[in-house]
Order: sequence, then structure tokens, then C-alpha cells
Amino acid sequence: MSMERVSPIAPSTRGWQKRPGRLRDSQTAVLLVLPAAALLLAIIVYPLLNSMLIGFFDKSLIYGGGTFVGFKNLEAVLNNEFIPVLGNTLVFAIGATLLPFFIGFGASLILNGPIPARGFLRGAFLLPWLVPSVIASFLWLWIFNANYGVLNGFLRSLGVISQNNSWLSTGGSAMLAVLLAKTWQTFPWIAVMLLAGLQTIPADQMESAAIDGANRWNRFTHVTLPHLRNVIGIVLLLSLIWNFQHFETIYVMTQGGPAKATTTFSVAVYQTAFQAFDLGKAGALGILWMLLLSVVVIVYLRFGMRGEEDFS
Amino acid sequence: MKTTSGPWMATRASERALGRIGLYAALALAMFFAFFPIYWMLVTSLRPNSEVFAFPPSLLPQTLTLEHYANFIKNPQLLVYLGNSVLVATTTALVSLIISVYAAYSFSKFRYTGRRALMFLVLSAQMFPQALLLISLYLMFSELKMLDTYAVLVLSFTTFTLPLCIWMLKGYFDHIPTDLIEAAKIDGAGQMQIIHRILVPIVRPALVATGIFAFMRGWNDFIYALTLVGKSKQTLPPGLVLTYIGEFQSQWADMMAASLLVSLPLVIAFILFQRQIVSGLTAGAVKG
Amino acid sequence: MNAQQLTRPLIAAGLLMGTIACGGQAAAPPPAAATKAPAPPAAAAPAEFTFTGWAINEGASKEVVTGYMKAYGASKNAVIKEQPFPFGEELNQLVLQASGGSAQGAAQLDIAWLATMAATGKLKDLSAYAKDRGYTQAGLLSGQVKGVQYGLPWTTGSIGMAANKQLLDAAGVTSMPKTVAEFETALLKIKKSNPDVIPYAGMTAAAQLKDILFWIWTFGGTVIDNKGNVTLGDAGSVAALEWYKSLLDRGLMNKEMDRFTARQLFSQGKVAFYDDAIVMKGIVTKDSPVKNLGDLIVPVARPVLKEGDKPQALLWGHIVVVFEGKNADAAAQWAQFLTSDLATTTNYFEKLALPPTTDAALKADLVKKDSFTSDWSSKITATANANPFALYAASARMESILTERVNAYLVGSVPTAKAALDKAAADITPLLK
Repeated sequence: MSMERVSPIAPSTRGWQKRPGRLRDSQTAVLLVLPAAALLLAIIVYPLLNSMLIGFFDKSLIYGGGTFVGFKNLEAVLNNEFIPVLGNTLVFAIGATLLPFFIGFGASLILNGPIPARGFLRGAFLLPWLVPSVIASFLWLWIFNANYGVLNGFLRSLGVISQNNSWLSTGGSAMLAVLLAKTWQTFPWIAVMLLAGLQTIPADQMESAAIDGANRWNRFTHVTLPHLRNVIGIVLLLSLIWNFQHFETIYVMTQGGPAKATTTFSVAVYQTAFQAFDLGKAGALGILWMLLLSVVVIVYLRFGMRGEEDFS
Repeated sequence: MKTTSGPWMATRASERALGRIGLYAALALAMFFAFFPIYWMLVTSLRPNSEVFAFPPSLLPQTLTLEHYANFIKNPQLLVYLGNSVLVATTTALVSLIISVYAAYSFSKFRYTGRRALMFLVLSAQMFPQALLLISLYLMFSELKMLDTYAVLVLSFTTFTLPLCIWMLKGYFDHIPTDLIEAAKIDGAGQMQIIHRILVPIVRPALVATGIFAFMRGWNDFIYALTLVGKSKQTLPPGLVLTYIGEFQSQWADMMAASLLVSLPLVIAFILFQRQIVSGLTAGAVKG
Repeated sequence: MNAQQLTRPLIAAGLLMGTIACGGQAAAPPPAAATKAPAPPAAAAPAEFTFTGWAINEGASKEVVTGYMKAYGASKNAVIKEQPFPFGEELNQLVLQASGGSAQGAAQLDIAWLATMAATGKLKDLSAYAKDRGYTQAGLLSGQVKGVQYGLPWTTGSIGMAANKQLLDAAGVTSMPKTVAEFETALLKIKKSNPDVIPYAGMTAAAQLKDILFWIWTFGGTVIDNKGNVTLGDAGSVAALEWYKSLLDRGLMNKEMDRFTARQLFSQGKVAFYDDAIVMKGIVTKDSPVKNLGDLIVPVARPVLKEGDKPQALLWGHIVVVFEGKNADAAAQWAQFLTSDLATTTNYFEKLALPPTTDAALKADLVKKDSFTSDWSSKITATANANPFALYAASARMESILTERVNAYLVGSVPTAKAALDKAAADITPLLK
């Protein structure tokens, strides 16, 4: 039916479609997208639906089998952990998106400026991102260590604190510690993306703004920011999506503690599956996750598909 | 159009001077934040074990030792992990690029039923909880007898990065004028020729940026590599944890030495190619 | 557009992936540890099985254990494939493998994991292999679940208390405290005499709070009574928790203390008392800046509430289990060899200070002569109890519920010990099936 829709490629080429042995454009298109679709269906959609289905059963990783329990798992999760876990997830996802964004933006502005050894520094600044994230998490775990970590040593020598602080076993500071570690790890790629964006700003636009008497701040808000709008959007969106998933840093540094203060959705799912070996409850968490995300997905699609209007 | 890659265009000398002081101060702060932990890794790797846990910690090592680096060299298993990581990450990048170029081209330049649904699938797939997938994937691969192969890692990581890669490349494809493609068709080119001879060369800078993200997914992942393959095919993250985090004690100094050594090639590569990388990103996802 | 033109690249992609899969398998290094002795022409093919454990890869034990594997493989015509995991991940990975049906061969387990592994239903009954090997009673018990001998004991010891004699003497603590009250007095004396020293480096980091168990026992709590009810929240457990917190509040213990840190600080001579497994001596003396630390370490029977009470300690150890399936018998023979062969187990003790589990080995000169081990064993292991959660499949979860609640109380987010323990009891009870 819709195969006959006018293709964006000029109608004169439709003659090619009638040649024997040649695929029609739409068939080609479907074949082209087949590998990607196949992988996504097989490796993400099918296992996901499977795990979510298990959310309606009472199934343990240890024993086989499993009895149908309907909404019992969902109820259990909603009554117990859902709100705190949701809260932690939002705090982490938003915090881990905004903090590196601001620091990365600052870094990109610096790296775009007249600093010495600029070429070298642009590469060197990527170092925190290139260290495997598991290692970076252990490194920060150790920096924050209450008994011999360098942060305590540093603050005590400056006289800021008189006694060692246990950063990772106090609720509020544990989340901040994890956010700081994640920020250190991620700000470099954001900086590079924004740096790339800064480099596409036409010099004459900047020049004419300066000539018109705009000071640095105005140049920033009227030339730089509008030009970077797309990159900023992409960076923020990608970060947010990835941070909803993020698991390793929290797992290594706090295992979701103290007293579940840093337990996000992914940590909760992992612990439910591997400590309690409760696949039913893990599946229920997954169902709730998907429901929440469908809200985000709709927003995401609006942004992601914005370019479509030019072509349809 | 000239693009900005040089100094800020400050109008007044005093503004310029103040700006420069501010810039250097900000630079110093940023460098401290970025590099002090790296410095700490370095310093720890050069200390003897007895000094590693002294409190208060000294900024400079009291005693210098290269024993931890020597230990790295003496442990051939670590090079196996490094080799595995490079293999898996590079293959992930290549396979991701191939598959996503085709898919992005399909989404960008064609119209067909199911296209919107597929795009929805692709875009939303990266939001699905990967922590939950681990067990189902493990059991699925176990039944297919695919565990402990490089393929299982490459397939998993590729699938996780596909949404990002397809999206980035599609954005770039969208900017390629269709006249180019039309002209090629008039000249008698088939689709594959169009893709390989015309589109890929244009898209090449974007491929660099996309490939890097795909590479990093394979490079960084811990939990899937730990679960899906055995020791001989382990990548660095689980391999390093396996080697240095024990039941009784963790060998921090050795771990720091090993981590620095394995990150070094990447750093050097990025420093050498930073210009191409940045311009690739410019060409790729960044076009306004 | 030609169909052939399109399929070619798709085939290429498929071939690429196939090559990776096959090439990966072909390029895998041959199973470690096997140099086969020339087999007599009529001999059967060598038995292949896997040995899983963290000891295979950990710094101290790696050479020792892989050496045993090689020697055994050569002499018994077996090929032992290594499967190491980091200690913290092994249980999960093995459960996953058992669940998927691919668990095979023998595996080193912490005794706390046995009930969980047994619940998968994939373990082989090793009672035939446990007979007449001279295993100690305590050792055998640590490998049993509901009376079935699933594991052969590899090392059995305990988690108990150790002290730095020199620090005690310097503070004027002349005799080992026997009661809790005397213990407190000693701690206060130590803190007064030397503010840089941590009097008691008791565990306060969430991960190791299972140490609270022996204090609950000391104060009369039972955690789980012999009828299978959870008794957390009773007078004994509340008293124990409140006392523990009071030590923290008075500065006699430090916050966020985990076992690694306690060891490090003890090794630097900055800790007077702390709790650890019997193997601690070798660990803390290695790389210690205190030259004669080894001579200063003394095992201490845990202080009791009232004179005459039994000092409490937590049973600790490693066992070897075997999965049903291919070559299970060969794997079981290896397990038996590793855990009861006299030469091997005494060598294991000599290299790693892990006490053997057979009467013969314990009587060996090498082991008897080690006064630290025998001192520890008689003062501490003799009256050690098993982790009460160890009998249940959900033991890991139950333990972490308790430690989370205790931690919440210690950091102050739960106001009373009773509230914390009652919640723990409520959450643990449904897991008791």
C-alpha cells in the first residue's frame, strides 16, 4: 500500500524499480535495516519481555519452576522500596547529567581558549574517561575512604575538618560522593562534544558581535548558546538516558548503601536478582521501570524525530 | 566561512587581561580536578605496599619503587586481558558501524511501512534496563551454547550501542542532499555502490565519533564481560578486579600501576588524533 | 537494485561474526595446568573437569593451588580447567551457571555459601568421599546441609579477636579482659594512654557487620532459635547493639571500619583489638612497618557477659563441592585429594597458614608446632558457632537485611536498636522457607 508513496529520491528513478532482478527501494530499505532490527529484537526486546513476564511469577534463580502470582510482586515492590528507589534514581540521573554538563561546558570553553599546550591538553583531559570505569570507581572509593583516604587527609591538613569524615556511610554525602566520582569520569566526553560545537561557531559572527559592543557575557548568550543548542540537547538527553542505566560506580563504591541511600533502579534490580535471587521481584522492578520510561521515551521521540518534518 | 578555533575576540585590553587571568585560574582548577586523581594513581603505583595505607597520606612517595610495574610485566595474563579488550572493543566498533550505517541510511533516505515503528524501537531500546537483561541474556546464550566466545560480547555490546550509533549517523545522513544520490542512480549505481562509494566517504568523519562511543562501550563494560565469558576471554575491567581484589586484601598499588599502563595507549592515541576526533565530532552529531 | 548485490555485504557481515565466534574458540589458549604424562596405550582418555575458585587467581594462593592442579593432572591423567572468579562475585556466577545447567566439576566455596548452592539441586552427595579420610567433626559439619555431605572441608577456622600485646602493655592492661566490663575498661585505658591508637577496630562498615553476630550471642541473643524462629529484637540482641553503638559513640571504635582497613591499621601498629579470621597473622605481618609485629599478636578469647560463659566466635572456612554431571566422580576424587591428602594439606598450611581439616594433618609437626594456630584454635575455634543464616538458601539476603538494619542504627537513621532489630526480624522471617 504505502510502497507507492513518493520516495524522496526523484520519480525519474522509479524506472529502475521495474527492471527484473532489482529490488524495489522499499524492499532494499527493509533489508538494510534488518541486521539492526534483528539484533535489537533478539538481544534486547526478547530478553526484556521475558524478564518482565517473570515479574508476574514467583521465580527464584536458585530453584527451577515458578508459580503465577499475578500482581503480588508489583504490590510488594510498590509498598516497600519503590518510592525511595525512584527518588534515588532521579537524584542520581539528574545530578549525574547536570554536574558533568556544567563542568564539561566550562572545560570546553577553557579548551577553546588561548591556553598553552592546547592540543596536548585536549587529548589529556580525556584521561578520566579512558580509565576503565570500574577502576575509576575503585579509585574514588579509595579517595573517599574514611580511614586512610586522601580526601580526609587533605581536608584535615587544611584544617577544614578535625576528624576523619565517613563520606560513604552517611546518606547524603554518599550520594554526593558517587555523583562526584561519576562526574569526574564523564565530563571529558561532554567537554569534547561541546568543544566540537564551539569550533563550528563562525568567527565572523563572534567578531561582528564584538564590534557591536557586546561584552563577553552577551556574546556567550547571544552567539555561543544558540549555536550550541542542538549539541547541548543531544548531550543532555544521552547523558540522562545513560545515567538511568548506570550501575557500576554505585555498585563498587557503596553497593547501594548506606541503608539503601544510593540504591537506584539498576542497583535494586541487580541486588534483587543476585542477593535475594528473586527473579520475580526483579521483573516487577523492570515493569515499573518501563512504565516510567515510556513517559521519557515520548519526550525523547519528540526531540529525536524533530528532523523528520523536513523530509516527510 | 571561517570557524572559530582561535582566541576570544575581546574588545578591550583590560577585559582581555582580566579574561586571561580568569581563564588561567579556571584552567588550573579544571586541571586539578581532572588530573589530581590520576596523579594519585601514579603516586600510589610508585609506593611500596607498606606506605600505601599510611595516614595521613603524603603527597609524594617517601620511597620510590617500581615493583608494581615489574609485577605487571611478570603477569602475562594481564596482557591477555588487554588483548581481549582491544579485540572486543574494536570489533564492536566495526560491527556497530557497519550495521548502523545501513540502518541509518534506510531510516534517513527511504520511506516504508514500519519505518516509524522501527525508529521507535531503535531509539527507545537504549533505555531498557540493561541490569535486568543480564540474567535473561545469560540463560539465552547458555542454551545457544554461545557462552565464553568473543561473539557473545561483541553481539551484546553492539546491540547496546546501536541506538546511539544509528541516531548519530542518521542525523548526518539527513544532511546529505538527495540530489547526490539521484545523480548516482541516474549514472546506473546500485544501492550498495551508492553506500560504499559515495556515502561512506562523506560520512567518514562521523564514523570516527560514532566508532569511539561504540569502542568505549566494549572497553568499559564490567558486568557483562564478567558474566558471559571465562578467564581466557575476559576483558580488562573484570580481569583487573579478578587479579587485584581478593578475599583477604586488595592490591591497590598493583592495580593502579596496571590501570595506568593499560590506559596509556588510549591516551596517547587520543592526544595524537585529537584534532581528527574533534573535527569528526563536529561533522558528526554536532551540525546545528 | 540487485538482490545479489545486497546480500553479498550481509553475508560478509555474517561471515565476520561467524569467524569471530569460531576463531575465538580456536584461539582460546588450551586449558591451563595440564601436562599429561605419556599414557599407556590402553588407557582411557584423560578425565576433563573444571575447578572453580578465587584461590586460583588471588596473589597469595595462585602459585600454590595451580601447582597442585598441575601435579595432580599429570599424575592422575586428568585435565583440570581453571575457572577463577573474584571472591565477591563467585557465588552469583556459580548460581547463574547452575541455573543455566552449565555448572561442572569442583568448586571452592566459602562455608556461608553452601546452603544457597545446595538449594540449586545441582550438587553431588560426597558422603562416599568423606568416609575414612579423618576429617574433623567441625569440618564435616561445615560441609553439610540438612545432614547431606555436599562439601569436603578444605580449611576450618574461625573469626575471632586478636590483640597487639605491646599496645596493651603500654596502656597498663596487664591481663586479657575476660568479661565485657573488663574489656570496656581496657579500651578506655588504651584510648587514654594513646589517642592515636584505635582501641577496638570493630567492624562498622555495612559489608562486614555480620560480626555483630558474635556480640549478639555474647549478650545472650540467639538470632534464630532452635525452633527456627527469628529472635532478633529480644533483650540480648538489643543489649548487644546498644553496647556496640556506645563503643562507637565514645570513640572506642571508628566509623566505616572494614576488615581491610582494620588489617592495614593493625599492621601499622595502630589498633589494639580487632576481629579477623585465623589467617590474619600472615596478612598483617607482610609489608608491616612494625618489624616484630608477628611476636606481638595474641589471639584473644572473646570477652563474655558473665564469668563462666562460653566465649563466642564465628565459624569460618572453605569447602570444595562437586556438581553432578560430566566427570563428577573424577572431580570428586580431586576434591578429596585437595582437602585430605596429607602432603598437600600440610604444604597448604605451610604456605598460606590455612588450617587443615583432617586429624592426621592437624597432628603433623608442622601444624602442631605453629603455636599461633594452636593457640587460636583452642581459645577461639573450639567454641565457635556457625552463622545461623548459613542453613538457609536465602542466607546472603538474610545477612544483608541484618547488616543494613544494624548499619542504619549505627549511623543514626533509625533511633532505637529495638526498632532496627524488629524490622530486620520482620524482613527475614518470610525468607525462612
